[in-house]
Formats: sequence, structure tokens, C-alpha cells
Amino acid sequence: MIGKMYVQAVPTADMNRNTDWFTYPGVWTTYILILFFCWLLVLSVFNCTPGMAWTVINLCHFVVTYHFFHWKKGTPFPDDQGIYNGLTWWEQIDDGRQLTRNRKFLTVVPLVLYLIASHTTDYQHPMLFFNTLAVLVLVVAKFPNMHKVRIFGINGDQ
Amino acid sequence: MIKIPYLAALTTLFSYGLLFVFGQLRDFFRKIFDYWSHSKLQGYAPICLGLEDFYIRRLYLRIQDCFNRPISSPPDAWFDVVERISNDNNKTLKRTTKVSRNFPQAPAVLGLMEALQPCIPNWRSVWRIFVGKPAAVVFGMGYVTNSAILPVLIGKGGLIISDSLNHKSIINGARGSGATVRVFQHNTPYHLEKVLREQIAEGQPRTHRPWKKIIVVVEGIYSMEGELCKLPEIVAICKKSKAYVYLDEAHSVGAVGKTGRGVCELLGVDTADVDIMMGTFTKSFGSCGGYIAGSKELIKYLKYTCPAHVYATSISPPAAQQIISSIKVILGEDGSSRGAQKLARIRENCNFFRSELQKMGFEVLGDNDSPVMPIMLYNPSKIPAFSRECLKQNVAVVTVAFPATPLLLARARICISAAHTKEDLIKALEVISRVGDLIGIKYFPAEPKKQQLEETRVKFE
Repeated sequence: MIGKMYVQAVPTADMNRNTDWFTYPGVWTTYILILFFCWLLVLSVFNCTPGMAWTVINLCHFVVTYHFFHWKKGTPFPDDQGIYNGLTWWEQIDDGRQLTRNRKFLTVVPLVLYLIASHTTDYQHPMLFFNTLAVLVLVVAKFPNMHKVRIFGINGDQ
Repeated sequence: MIKIPYLAALTTLFSYGLLFVFGQLRDFFRKIFDYWSHSKLQGYAPICLGLEDFYIRRLYLRIQDCFNRPISSPPDAWFDVVERISNDNNKTLKRTTKVSRNFPQAPAVLGLMEALQPCIPNWRSVWRIFVGKPAAVVFGMGYVTNSAILPVLIGKGGLIISDSLNHKSIINGARGSGATVRVFQHNTPYHLEKVLREQIAEGQPRTHRPWKKIIVVVEGIYSMEGELCKLPEIVAICKKSKAYVYLDEAHSVGAVGKTGRGVCELLGVDTADVDIMMGTFTKSFGSCGGYIAGSKELIKYLKYTCPAHVYATSISPPAAQQIISSIKVILGEDGSSRGAQKLARIRENCNFFRSELQKMGFEVLGDNDSPVMPIMLYNPSKIPAFSRECLKQNVAVVTVAFPATPLLLARARICISAAHTKEDLIKALEVISRVGDLIGIKYFPAEPKKQQLEETRVKFE
């Protein structure tokens, strides 16, 4: 039945091929499903409590999304000739416009993960400390005021 | 509008994610190994940063054998495709001496690759008659036509509004011109109007002075969609806002329209309304090169300023003669009705092929009468599967993936030629149907065949 559902793919006006895939349908669902299946995988491999598994997912999610959204700059295509070489993926999406639906969704996901992880571990230390650190860094990095800001020149252009 | 099955969208995104993760892992380990081995750079900087060609190294090279297949026969209804082998998992390919006879689905539209006659001078006048504009200038290469003309026509202080799915040559020319570039949603005239009004109201960035010139760039048939441009509405909007229209007819000249004059004839737009018409000779005329047709003053100006005309060599005589002969055949001036027959046959062929594919349940894009037919594949793994399976059964298909198309929407692009006969097409349909069943790209329900319909009717009675 789910195989019979169709969605319309509206052609996007985003010219940056590194980020235009995010405007197509199914991306949000895929993101959430990947997180859920990774949680199941961690539970089955490590044989830990669900709370520990959610903490592991939260921290891995922090490392992966920080690296790809806020650390790596530029695009993986040589045809772009380096126009976006000074911008991270987060600064490139939606053509640099702030507070769009995609950005709001991406800001909410780490918050929800944090709530689930801290709830299922009953707010115990040391998990709570690491989860809070992860969510603080991610959410601050996504503020509109942090657009193109490089603190202390870390990850700035050479 | 493309209707994607939701499950296909999810699995496509997941597959690309997986490929990306594996590529990153391999790059990470490659960096570790390279740190220990000594560097061959001898103090020079590397040519490209590791992350710039990530897509080419880790995704494109894995299925390299499905793209850019060399052929060793003139383009016709049946080709000889040279087979290639690879010893290092597709990183490099070596040509073998074996060739296989294949039925191609690539742009060789009117099948006019055959006869060449002795050279006749004054052929630009023949071309002017064909396109319907007062003057024309010709270049040796189609890509260069777009990328060298746009910088000459417009510069800093001007505005280029181009369709979001325009060809790379137009994007290259627009970027090289120095003008501000804005994009409107593919083939959506009301979005074009919105963008035009916004931009005219705002003026140039920062100074807010009025724009020096506005050019709207559209294509006749979009090569990856097979859709015709909504030219009448777009021309009306541009007339209202006094913007110039630049029409790129690479795929449509010589192939659509009653006498093959392109998309203006098909949609009933007066060629005087389109300011600059551009096209190439590669597809329908079996030659190489591109042209620009426009008013006499425009062409005179281009001849003095365009570097592709001033500093380049002229188009070579055999290519020119091929074009003249092709035009004569299309217009019927060589005495036979070969041109009219070919135009009628291509229209029949493409309508037949498209309707059969749609009946089988494939998702085929494009309008009726357009010789370009993309079949949607979506998943990145179905691209090499479709390509290699069809090649085994002697049908060579062209598959297109990211970055030529959007990420989710990988497709196999089929171009019908007038040189294909009905038997060829039926054979190709059988092969594509079998391979499609094997791979699972029949995303829409197939229409039941006539006998089954009658059986159900009998059952109800």
C-alpha cells in the first residue's frame, strides 16, 4: 500500500547541486527513519539499555552532523569552481536564507533526540552531561546570527 | 510535474546516503595510508582538493562503464559499440578490439548522417531561409556558441533570468558574463513573471539602479525532460516587461514542427518575437557546430566582438556541406520528399514509442511529439543495472544521473530517430520491457491488454 503512494516532485529553483536534494520530497522521513534504524542496530549489537542506545545515537548524530553540516566547506563537484568554498553546508542550504522550513526542521531534530535520550536514561550523569553538550553545540551552530561566523578563526579560510 | 512513488524516494535517498558514507570511509582510510607512504608531490600543491572531486572518484567512477561508450561506426539506426574491460574495478577502462552491433537510443534524430555532396558556397543564406530570421552567424562548436555569446551580449549591470534546468553551456556563459543571474522554476511562466517584477522593482544589487538589459534564456526542448517550453506565455511576459528572449533550440530545430523549423513553428510563435535564436547542428543535421540567428545589427555586432568568431577557425567544409545537404533534404529542395517523410516518420515513431512505454507502466516524461523520452529510474543502483542488462541484449541506452539531473531523478534517456523502423522499435520495446520487469522500474500500473479486457467484460455479463 505504501508502494502505491505518489508524491509530486516540484522542480526546485535552487542552483546549488550540493543542497538542492534537500528540497525534494521524502528527505525528512528518510532522516528520521535512518535515526530510528540506527537505534535498533545499536540496541541489537551492543545489548545495552534503550537509554544508552539513544545516548549513543545522540552523540554519533552530533559528531556526524557537526562534521558534515558545520565543518566541511565547499561542494563535492569541480564544476562549481569553488564558489561555495568558504561556506559550510548549513550556510549553503536554501541559498543562505535563514529560518526556512528545512532549517527549522534540522534545528528541531537534535532537540527531540536530546529529550528522548535524557528521558530514557532518567536524567542520570554522565550521560546527561554529554547529551546536553551535544545539543548546545548543535543548536548554537544553527542560530541565524552564526551565519558565516568563525569563532577565533577556527575553520576559517586560509 | 514528476510523480515519484514515495517508497522509491525514500530508498533512493537511503542508497545515496549509503554510497556517500562508504565513499567517505574509503577517503578516510586513503588519507591514513597516504600519510604513511611518501608523497610524490615534491613540494607542489595538489591539482584539486580531495573534497572537490569526491563525487567523481567515489560515485561516478564506480559505474564508469555505463557512460561515454565509444562507437566505431557512423551514427545510424544500428551502431558498433566498442567493448571495454577494466582490471581495477572501473577506475580505468581499456578498449578491446571487439565490437558489438547495438541498437542505440541516442540523439541521431533525423538519420541524416548518410550522403555528402560536393561543396556549395553561400550556405548561410540557406540557413537564414530555414530559421526565418534576417541574419545568422555560425560557430564550430555548439557548447562554445552559448558560452561565448552570452558574455558578449550582456555584462555587469545586466540581468540574466534562466530556466532552472538550462544546459551547462548556458550556465557557463551566464557565469562568465559578469551579469547577475536569477533562476525561475522550470517552465513556470507565472514564476518567471514574479521574478521579473521583483527584479525590475529592486534594480541592480546594492545601487538599486535600473538594469541595463534583461535577457530571459529558455530552451526549446529540454534535453533531460523532453518537455516543450511554454513559449507563447513566456514571450508574452517578456514583451510586457521589455526583456529580451534567447531561445536555445539544440534539440528542437529540424525535429519538431510541420516543416522541421523548430519549436516556434510548432507552438505558433512568430520568430520576430524571439530576439535571439540559437541552435546546434549536432542533433538533427548530423554535423557539428552551432548558430545564432537574429537581427542584422545584432549579427554584425557579434561578428566583430565574439571571440568564438574572431579568433576561432571557421566551421570545416565537410561539416558545412553536410548541413546544407540536410537542410535541402528537410525543405524538400533536393526534389524528393525524403525530408517530409522523415519528419512524419519521426513524429509517428516517437508517439508510438511513448504510448507503448506508458502502457507498459513505465514513467515516461515529456510532451507528445517530442523525440526525447526519459524513463525514470530513481535509484542509483538501477542506473548501471538498466544500462548493462540492455547492453547484454544489444540495446545501448544512455543513462543520466546526478549531477546532470536532480539527485532523486536519475533516468534513462531515449531519443527516437527517423532512421529507426517499426520492427526495430518493437524489438527495443520488448528488451526494455523485459529489463524493466527484472529491475522493477514499472512504477505505474500497466494497462491490461485488449484480450484481458474482453475476458473481464464477458465475466461481468
